[in-house]
Amino acid sequence: MNDKPLILAVDRNRRNLELLAQFLDKEGYQTICAASIEEFEQALSGETEIGLVLVDLSGFDRQIWEWCERVREKQIPFFVISPKQSAAIQQESLAHGARNMLVKPLVIRELLGIVRGLMGTPT
Amino acid sequence: MPQERLLTGIPGLDELLDGGFIPGRAYLVRGGPGAGKTTLGLHFLATGVANGEKTLYITLGEPAEQIRTNAKALGFDEKSIEFLDLSPTSEFFTEIQTYDIFSPAEVEREPTTQKIIDEVTTLKPQRVFLDAMTQFRYLSADAFQFRKQVLSFVRFLVEQKTTVLFTSEGSEAAPDDDLQFMSDGILNLSYSDQKRTICITKFRGSGFRSGYHSIRLTSAGMEVFPRLQPDAYKRVFVPEPVSSGIPALDQLLHGGIERGTITVLSGPSGVGKTTIGLQFMKEAAGRGERSVVFSFEEDVELLVRRCHNVNIPAQTMIERGTLSLLKVEPLKFTPDEFAYLVRQQVEQQQTSIVMIDSVSGYRLAVRGEDLVSHLHTVCKYLANMGVTVILVNQTKAFAGEYQGTEYGISYLADNVIFLRYFERYVNSQLELRKVIGVLKKRLSDFEKSLREIQITRYGIKISEATPEIRGILSDLPQGGKAPERDKL
Repeated sequence: MNDKPLILAVDRNRRNLELLAQFLDKEGYQTICAASIEEFEQALSGETEIGLVLVDLSGFDRQIWEWCERVREKQIPFFVISPKQSAAIQQESLAHGARNMLVKPLVIRELLGIVRGLMGTPT
Repeated sequence: MPQERLLTGIPGLDELLDGGFIPGRAYLVRGGPGAGKTTLGLHFLATGVANGEKTLYITLGEPAEQIRTNAKALGFDEKSIEFLDLSPTSEFFTEIQTYDIFSPAEVEREPTTQKIIDEVTTLKPQRVFLDAMTQFRYLSADAFQFRKQVLSFVRFLVEQKTTVLFTSEGSEAAPDDDLQFMSDGILNLSYSDQKRTICITKFRGSGFRSGYHSIRLTSAGMEVFPRLQPDAYKRVFVPEPVSSGIPALDQLLHGGIERGTITVLSGPSGVGKTTIGLQFMKEAAGRGERSVVFSFEEDVELLVRRCHNVNIPAQTMIERGTLSLLKVEPLKFTPDEFAYLVRQQVEQQQTSIVMIDSVSGYRLAVRGEDLVSHLHTVCKYLANMGVTVILVNQTKAFAGEYQGTEYGISYLADNVIFLRYFERYVNSQLELRKVIGVLKKRLSDFEKSLREIQITRYGIKISEATPEIRGILSDLPQGGKAPERDKL
């Protein structure tokens, strides 16, 4: 059991995952990645405690919302990353329990601000 | 004390820059695709290599290997040029290296600039060519950040005592005004209507030649042909008469045509204009002087044979170096390139007489530009250098009303010699004969009479003054009297 909570990044694009992990690691957070629904499920079922989930909707079908519900059931905070500004997506994100919706491309400073707000500054 | 200059390795361009670039500055090369920016940069770096300097080519677009291949094909020593290849690799595509979660400005700016700093700090180059600077725009979040980034980058390079040449792919959609303001000099390359030009619009701390100048891109790189400025050239000479070697003609001209003057030889086709010009050259060769004919119409072999047929030993003169017959293909050269050829003959070969045969042929070379201004430029340059200029001007009419010169070049002429056909009875036979006269002579008086001229295998023969010839300027000239018996 790892005492340090992890950030789970979910993205179809592996390069995006690399970049997210790279920037978050640089700030002291540990990150695990999921590039598919299966990997997402596997990460949620693991023993490691997850402190935050980032979900990039691009490339996923509506099944992704089902998994967002599971994250909510586990009382893990998460927010959704959308390819475009969309009121419909924002409403659906909030309805499924997301704390927020961010629009790509993300500004790193903003992302880090949100992460710190939810997880605190890493020791 | 002349300021230290960095040669570009392109002689014409160095001339436009008053000797070359000032070291430790940043210069912008602008132009569309295919204009020659990369070629210019390679010249710049290769010249540094030849001078024992360290050089660095930073490429953000084209892969370094491709540039090396092109540089080698152009004859540059590409192995001595250091390359920093920051162009995208194929892995970026094959391994789905594309991303969209962050902007390129945040992902790539730091690694890119760090690589450049590392390379420059390690190599300490004296010359840097960066192709293209506009790529940095994509690494900046906004215009202000782009400007600050470029300014600080250029300052970093200049503080290393580096001279920077960077390119811009500016267009109407993505203007590069900010780069123009930031640079110490701007070179604009353009390509339109089958014509390539370079134009310098900025050069801090130095004079430069403004205007558009011809460029040629060849398999040996870039050539620049500065537009000729006659006033910049002066040579001390005595305006003494240049003899034709034919006493009657010299008498007509009161001694000959003077050095540093412009003479128009005018007349219809086949009347002997070229032969008269070559006669002056034959006489000059006898004094050891060199002449050049720029022939736009006849091939050299044909000219040599024609000369031989009229007792002008052109081949011998060529072998001795006192004559050069240059065939100029009208559509091959721009006016600036032709002026460059002329300058080479005068400044490197001590030429005394230049003949342009003919003005019509030269007009083709000008191709839509102003014939008179270009011809004026070349002729005034030659005159300033003490060269005797002969312009062959073919009139359209075989007979009829006289037209001394066409194309409005008569103002340019210090001397006008004209030849005409006329009818004459010789032993009861009506024959077509030729007559020569002088219409204008600035530096001395001239004989007002007309003389018959014959071009034979023994050379040119000119008769004594022929008072009975009349009607030259207004009608078909006639001479002599019909014998009485013909009136039966």
